[in-house]
Amino acid sequence: MRRLGFSALAGGIFGAGLLLSGMTDTTRVQGWLDVFGDWDPTLAFVLGGAILPMAVAWRVAARMYHPVLGGAFPEPPKREVGPNLVIGSVLFGMGWALAGLCPGPALASLGFGGWGGLVFLLAMVTAMVFAPMVRQRIDTLTLFRSAMDIRALTPAYAVSPQIEISDLAALKAAGFTTIIDNRPDGEIPAHLHGAEVKTAAEALGLTFVINPVYPGALSAEVVAVQKAAVEAASGPVFAYCASGNRSSIVWMLMNAGKLPVDEMIATTARHGYNHAALRDQIEAAAAR
Amino acid sequence: MELSWLWGFLGGLLIGGAASLYLLVNGRVMGISGILGGLVDGSGRGTWAERAAFIAGLVAVPAVLGLAAGAETHLTQNWLLIIAGGLLVGLGTRLANGCTSGHGVCGISRLSLRGIVATVFYVLAGGVTMALLRHVAGVL
Repeated sequence: MRRLGFSALAGGIFGAGLLLSGMTDTTRVQGWLDVFGDWDPTLAFVLGGAILPMAVAWRVAARMYHPVLGGAFPEPPKREVGPNLVIGSVLFGMGWALAGLCPGPALASLGFGGWGGLVFLLAMVTAMVFAPMVRQRIDTLTLFRSAMDIRALTPAYAVSPQIEISDLAALKAAGFTTIIDNRPDGEIPAHLHGAEVKTAAEALGLTFVINPVYPGALSAEVVAVQKAAVEAASGPVFAYCASGNRSSIVWMLMNAGKLPVDEMIATTARHGYNHAALRDQIEAAAAR
Repeated sequence: MELSWLWGFLGGLLIGGAASLYLLVNGRVMGISGILGGLVDGSGRGTWAERAAFIAGLVAVPAVLGLAAGAETHLTQNWLLIIAGGLLVGLGTRLANGCTSGHGVCGISRLSLRGIVATVFYVLAGGVTMALLRHVAGVL
């Protein structure tokens, strides 16, 4: 109950601030955007005035164990700047100029904004309902942009060079259910370490298996872990390392004796991996 | 009118104060497109009451103060602009995961890269749209 009270209080103070600062007056907002006309600098003072106390609040929050009413503070900001962020911000900026309203003032001016204000709010809410579908569509299109790097050795097993956390949504949209990380953490910056990518992948409902392959030290255990992950997968598997090379070698070893060696060497060669020199090793594995 | 920058600054302090309160007491980022968007697309079902309470305060307080003071929005009379503006703002803020409050106030104040990039893009896009429609096409 106190949580709801403070929430309403924060909303009320925010609304009063918008009204006092003039941000519910669309001519002020449009005046701020009208750099080539009669430019109105007010919005810069509003933003500056709002950032000052908030910058202090973030520092205070960093010294507190938890918020006053319990729970947890927001996570540190994400760092990826993806197409959704840029496309979304550009569309928002265009709409902001057309009517001079953004979401806060659209709600704050509802009481005195007349029919126009209500229609704006309804249009905004309608678009918000459909936005998740558009977002998913953009994620899928992003995948096609980088699709050259996804090398499907079979319909059920693809390899790829190092991925970014922002690629995970597109991989999910493409139908992969299990991701295997074959790259040792020591080769890559901390934000791409297996545990980091695993957390993000699992948040999306993907299975994530960390199975590092150290150059020149490919053990039977690594092959067994990869094989078990593929057999346990409910859909297509996506494995990555630095170039996809190691992930493709593991694939050949785990299929040794099941698929003809010539065929596997030809398949990987079509995707840019030359494994002809591994023929003896694969045939030895097949014989075991 | 000459003092509009001062009122802007004071109003800004209130906005930042509200955002600070919401962060330190409730532990939430005060981003309006996120609070409202999560309510209408179902992604914020678990915290709907807190979201609804915030919006109730945001609508009610300026409604009372604004009606008492005779506030005006000076919104355009052109329905096409109103509807297109609303659709673009709703879609854009949800794709970008934030608007002027979330990316602008809350993001810039913690030096978030995404907040800064988003703010640069929506201000630039707004400025270019305004320049084209007001000074080239003459419709705004």
